[in-house]
Amino acid sequence: MVDALTRSMRASHVLVAILVAASLAVAAFGVATNDTFYLRLATEALIFAGLALSVDILLGYTGLLSLGQALYFGLGAYLSALVLMVIPSFWAAFAATAVVAALAGLIGGFIVNRVRGVYFALITFGMAQVAAKIVYNTRALGASDGLIGVPVININLGIASVSSASPAGFFLFVLALIVILYALSAYLLDTPFGRLLIALRANEARIPFLGYRTMTPRLVAYVLAAMVAALSGALYPMLRGFVSPELFFFATSGNAVITVVTGGAGTLVGALYGSVLLTVLKSVIGSYTEHHLIVIGLLFMGAVIFLPKGLMGSVRPLIERMLAREPKQ
Amino acid sequence: MSEAIQYFQFVLAPQMLIGLVLGVAVILVALGLTIIFGLLDVINMSHGEFYALGAFIAFALSSVGLPFWLLLILVPLVMLPVGYLVERGLIQRVFHSGDRHVRTLLLTFGLGLLLEDAFRLVFGPNPHRPETPITGGVEAFGIFVPSYRLFLIVVGAAIIAAVAFVVYRTRLGAMVRAAAFDRDMAASLGVPVQHVYAGAFAFGVALAGLAGVLLAPIYSIFPTMGRDFILMAFTVVIVGGMGSIAGAVVAGLLLTQIQAIVSLYISPVWSDPIVFGIMVVMLMVRPQGLFGRLGHG
Amino acid sequence: MTAPILEIRDLSVNFGGLRAVDQVSFSIARNRITTVIGPNGAGKSTLFNLISGAIRPRDGQVLIEGVDCTGQPPYRMQAAGLARSFQITNLFFELTVAENLRLAAQILEPVSMAWRPVRSSRVAQRRVDDLLERFGLSGKAQYTAGELSHGEQRRLEVAVALACEPKVLLLDEPTQGMSHSDTRDTAELIRSLAADVTVLLIEHDIGLVMSLSDHVVVMYQGQKLAEGSPADVRANPAVQTAYFGHA
Repeated sequence: MVDALTRSMRASHVLVAILVAASLAVAAFGVATNDTFYLRLATEALIFAGLALSVDILLGYTGLLSLGQALYFGLGAYLSALVLMVIPSFWAAFAATAVVAALAGLIGGFIVNRVRGVYFALITFGMAQVAAKIVYNTRALGASDGLIGVPVININLGIASVSSASPAGFFLFVLALIVILYALSAYLLDTPFGRLLIALRANEARIPFLGYRTMTPRLVAYVLAAMVAALSGALYPMLRGFVSPELFFFATSGNAVITVVTGGAGTLVGALYGSVLLTVLKSVIGSYTEHHLIVIGLLFMGAVIFLPKGLMGSVRPLIERMLAREPKQ
Repeated sequence: MSEAIQYFQFVLAPQMLIGLVLGVAVILVALGLTIIFGLLDVINMSHGEFYALGAFIAFALSSVGLPFWLLLILVPLVMLPVGYLVERGLIQRVFHSGDRHVRTLLLTFGLGLLLEDAFRLVFGPNPHRPETPITGGVEAFGIFVPSYRLFLIVVGAAIIAAVAFVVYRTRLGAMVRAAAFDRDMAASLGVPVQHVYAGAFAFGVALAGLAGVLLAPIYSIFPTMGRDFILMAFTVVIVGGMGSIAGAVVAGLLLTQIQAIVSLYISPVWSDPIVFGIMVVMLMVRPQGLFGRLGHG
Repeated sequence: MTAPILEIRDLSVNFGGLRAVDQVSFSIARNRITTVIGPNGAGKSTLFNLISGAIRPRDGQVLIEGVDCTGQPPYRMQAAGLARSFQITNLFFELTVAENLRLAAQILEPVSMAWRPVRSSRVAQRRVDDLLERFGLSGKAQYTAGELSHGEQRRLEVAVALACEPKVLLLDEPTQGMSHSDTRDTAELIRSLAADVTVLLIEHDIGLVMSLSDHVVVMYQGQKLAEGSPADVRANPAVQTAYFGHA
């Protein structure tokens, strides 16, 4: 028999499978109609879903509200752009991002994990602001213009290769990567280590008396989240061909938090649905008025007040009940 | 020697004066932020938008002919019920949940987004610059000071002193501090805690609005004015100690002077990273800030 | 001669000017139930906080099986074989009863299991089932800890402390706020624990203390006033004035 938390995670898997099926349908439709714009938009939604995923690892599982996750997203995006301009290889950019993000996350983790609660939110916010201002003012990084002219690359997958310029191909590739990041996170969160993170959120004070330091799991969670954010960010220049300092700004971090809270914190899958929902909303409302922030602000406030578990937090229990009813082997 | 004096008169002093004006401005905004945190334990992410709201209300009212001097009194009075309603209607809805810090922060963050876009909708994206109410300047010790900036420093200092007086020296302030220290005990002593909370929030919001009126002639009015300004106010509140009025004043003056000096000797573009860096270091080594928090020692 | 399972020597700590615990020494014998009694403010809970590593002593030593563990953080104390429960219920309220126990028991698994799915943690799972059974919580395994009654939460509090198979178990007022019958059941349970764990207890119910304990330590104003068998302690005139006189 599986326990309650494992069952919740399986319910998330079901929801991810539904999303993947829908994405494949979108891709097929896109190919059939020869669409570029919407596939690119959907790809961007997935990339920002990866950033939201990293926010959820911290907020939904470890109980740490990061208001500066854009720091790692921006880091990944810039690093990937810089690598691609020298060596146009996806794997080189991806590997470099993973290594640098792990190191940066470790250093950042030591800084931010000195404090708890609301101070954690503020210190992550402050650190991202410092990075944003530095990037904004560094001429070697293109200052306020960012870096342009990231080349189109062919991603070598052994049996096949995907061009970052192919709308459907790159969309499916990003989909696969984000699902892998999701699956790895979900796997980790369902191990004793991951459960320790959940316990950390539930009652940090009791953890040391169970024989664990609290610093180690907090730090590991932070590094993992940094890597997920950075690897998602690394995909951005491949999609858009440029990076700009806005990727580091608070708006980026804040958007990820809105995505997670609206989608459902502590579900992982909420980050994915939240990102899709917000992207759809922005483009639908955006076609009527440029003032989509009023609607998003209202929606978000409504979610915080009336739907504190978020969209997936409310839908997932239904799936859990269905899974519980299945015969036990 | 005279070179040194001239350097002071024409280079250093004007720069420090710019810093001082910004310092007073930031403290005015930070005061409300720190009172709201100290008392309600709420990080008001929409505080910058309330600052902008004050400026926009003043802008709208002055365009129908109301004089600046009247607005200085009228705008905070209009902001009071706005703040009161936001506290009772929104903040209180999530105030008693287990995750107060996070949920109130998120709620006010959403409110800030909404307000910012509403300003853009109503007033357009471009900046407006109100006429300076006092023109001309004063010269003292060979240093030229625009009159309005001098006025701002004096009035700002008076407002800060008045707020400190109310909080630390009056019966009302004692009630507020009691409610901040121990909500239940204060309630059992007959302090109307609900109204004190909403009142303090309204007071903080009104202060932000007042700052908006005062600062608009210098920094202009535009939809994202709050977002840009609030970062500095947050930094001041954190470095000074969340909830401490004295801390906000000291940190406000200190950090803006550091900014001014860095701008002069290193480069203006590095003043922000350095100040935010100070905030991060402060949070690392002394998260409670320079001073403790309201009602706590 | 083997070292006592837990020995404290001249343990002291100050809070402000107050000597909260003042040069307290005693040792406890293996598989015995030792109870610390004393009026409110005698320093009993502070003593537990010192022994479990929640606060650092100013002076003195804590030895577990002869190994000096003084001033070690709680997770090191746990590694040395010591676990504790809390006077104010300290559980993972939003998680299920089973998960509360599993979290406490997962340390029994080898480190390599930390990165395998929890459902493969067989040792921990067996421990959880065992504890659910023993503490009469099997029917509530899938409830969240927050949904339990006060008495059930108190029992779970003890079970969580016991889950890591400690050598020494510190129980801080396990029957606090329990009904009379719950208290009696819990006393039975504690007595049954002594077969495989050494218990150090804080308890207010004097009847319970006298019937349950093998050894009693009396504290008063931060100091150890007396220790001995329940009968010895009851007969001690100093204890009668200081403690029973107040009751």
